[in-house]
Amino acid sequence: MATVADWGPASCPWKTPMADVAMQSPAVKAPTARARTLRGDAGIAWLLTLPAILAYCAMILLPLLAVLALAFTDYEFGARSFRWIGFGNFADMLGDRSFSASIRNTVIYCLFVAPLSIGIALGLAVLIEAGARGRAFWRAVFFLPVVSLTVAMATAWQYLLHPSIGPVNALLRMVGAGTPNWLGSSDWVIVSLGFIGVWENVGFNLVLFLAGLTAIPRELYAASEIDGARSGWSKFWLVTWPMLGPTMLFVIIITMTRSIRVFDTVQTLTQGGPNNASEVLLRTIYQEGFHYFRFGYSAAITLVFLVIVLGLMLIQTRLIDRRVHYG
Amino acid sequence: MSGIVLHDIQKSFGATKVLRGVSLSVAQGEFLSLVGPSGCGKTTLMRIIAGLEAVSSGAVQIAGRDVTALRAADRDVAMVFQNYALYPHLTVRQNIGVPLMMRRLSAAERIPFIGGLLPGVAEKQRTINADVANAAEMLGIGKLMDRKPAQLSGGQRQRVALGRAIVRHPMAFLMDEPLSNLDAALRVTTRSEIVALHRRVGASTVYVTHDQSEAMTMSDRVAVMMDGLILQVGTPEDIYTNPQDLRVAAFIGSPSINMLAAEVAPDGHVTVGPVPVGVGASGHGPAILAIRPEDIAPHATGIAARIEHQEYLGESLLVHARVLDSGEQVICRLPPEKRRQVARGETVHLRPDPAKALLFDGDGRRLGSRVLSLEDAHG
Repeated sequence: MATVADWGPASCPWKTPMADVAMQSPAVKAPTARARTLRGDAGIAWLLTLPAILAYCAMILLPLLAVLALAFTDYEFGARSFRWIGFGNFADMLGDRSFSASIRNTVIYCLFVAPLSIGIALGLAVLIEAGARGRAFWRAVFFLPVVSLTVAMATAWQYLLHPSIGPVNALLRMVGAGTPNWLGSSDWVIVSLGFIGVWENVGFNLVLFLAGLTAIPRELYAASEIDGARSGWSKFWLVTWPMLGPTMLFVIIITMTRSIRVFDTVQTLTQGGPNNASEVLLRTIYQEGFHYFRFGYSAAITLVFLVIVLGLMLIQTRLIDRRVHYG
Repeated sequence: MSGIVLHDIQKSFGATKVLRGVSLSVAQGEFLSLVGPSGCGKTTLMRIIAGLEAVSSGAVQIAGRDVTALRAADRDVAMVFQNYALYPHLTVRQNIGVPLMMRRLSAAERIPFIGGLLPGVAEKQRTINADVANAAEMLGIGKLMDRKPAQLSGGQRQRVALGRAIVRHPMAFLMDEPLSNLDAALRVTTRSEIVALHRRVGASTVYVTHDQSEAMTMSDRVAVMMDGLILQVGTPEDIYTNPQDLRVAAFIGSPSINMLAAEVAPDGHVTVGPVPVGVGASGHGPAILAIRPEDIAPHATGIAARIEHQEYLGESLLVHARVLDSGEQVICRLPPEKRRQVARGETVHLRPDPAKALLFDGDGRRLGSRVLSLEDAHG
């Protein structure tokens, strides 16, 4: 008579972990079966995640560690040696005028772009959603800036905002208003770049909001109407706003990170000028790393950048997540 | 004072006519069911009463007031939706309180935090909370007040939806298949609870359902809708025993009514095939004899049919037979003890009860009929 022991691994030399799962017999004692299944499942799980783990280590974790290490050295590209200088790079930042300008400008840019692009996108999304027709058309129109190449679009903006031949100033001249040098004056340059940033981000946020809006059950609007919500305004606050919570959280995070990472418009339009007035964090990193080849210093700024982004995300998820209702 | 009056309501969506002239009046405090197959326009009609849908033509009156042009918010009706439509981000207390908040607080007073600081708001909030607690008490959901809809079972959600409807004592209740998302057992108990709630609240109620047993058990009156028209309005008994349209007769009743091709002879005698059935009618020509399963039974003489199948239901026995001449199927509901007396494959003679037989013309309109003694017919 076959006993449980007969079916043990010793008598089944062909048994692989996979077969171990498939071949579980009800006759096997329960604890053993459970342990074995768990071990088998876990093994397979690790095996299946292995490619992703390898890719993550090679592409994200190792470069991150390299940056972390570099940030505490004075390594310059091409140099034969480097020294550990502790927090020297960070101390340098405190006295670096272009670094402090880039921090200030990035903050202003974010505070300008995020609220405006989120607010405008939400307003447009609600209008488009409420409209009877043309939804696909409007969505495409506002999404165009997202799919178009920023560098190419930057030339168009350069022309539009040109102080003497640009249509924007031509229009202003016609109505008799002042004609600022949009990209050339240190007072206006960050605002001008901010407008371009809003233009870039609205379409992206709009599509996210439209998706969020279509997910709201129509019945809730009917219910709110019956419950006495007469105006679109009160329906918005009773139904739309709370139901958009998860979308809003995502949009805020994505817009903040996208605007902190602003680079291409600045690089193509102003190169951080005039006089550092549009110097932003990512451009400083680029400039230090690939222009002056100060890899150590560049890595240190990258670290600061990373800490800011992580901190922002942490604050946002902690603060907003508690107030967001998920489904 | 009348409850709800609909006058010749028509509604089209593009080229599709959904409602083709519906008139109906629901008395104050009456419970009326709108029943019909899916797509017959009953939900559209309810949404028109609620003000969620505009009429193409016709008029709606609620409590003597013409509300055709009014918005849902101004009609003083409450509605229970099929999937409850609770606000998922609000607690049970807040959900039930929404209709009161919207009506008793101004827009400024509703602003979170700041609104609460305005004078008089705290007092209003107190009365709202008291009313909400009353409604919740009536429905037995007092313990669930701080939960969100996601944390409730289907039956509990349904009660919250009812609570949101009764809390402001509306002129009329509209219920759109409120039981269809509940499991069968809960559906039966909730039926009687809704009826009891209706008696306590006493407002006119329109209840939309495709389930005839709900309509028959709960309502004071039933309106049967088909193809955008109300075919008949009457008490459940009236609808069952005295349908005015063949479609009504066929829709109400389970198993559904038997329909046999009949002929009215020039002398007014009705025959099914060669067999006179003891029913007289005016006029002559082809007709349809409709008879409920419980009103037709084997007899010494009658319509010859072969028994094909029987279903034993405990309290009754359903015998499925096929008429030999025409091949039409007939179902008889017999007392269960007849089970041993009828066997599959056997030929029996079925005799409809002439007093219960319903006669319809070829267009499905009810024909007047009278009982004749069978001797007359044979003579």
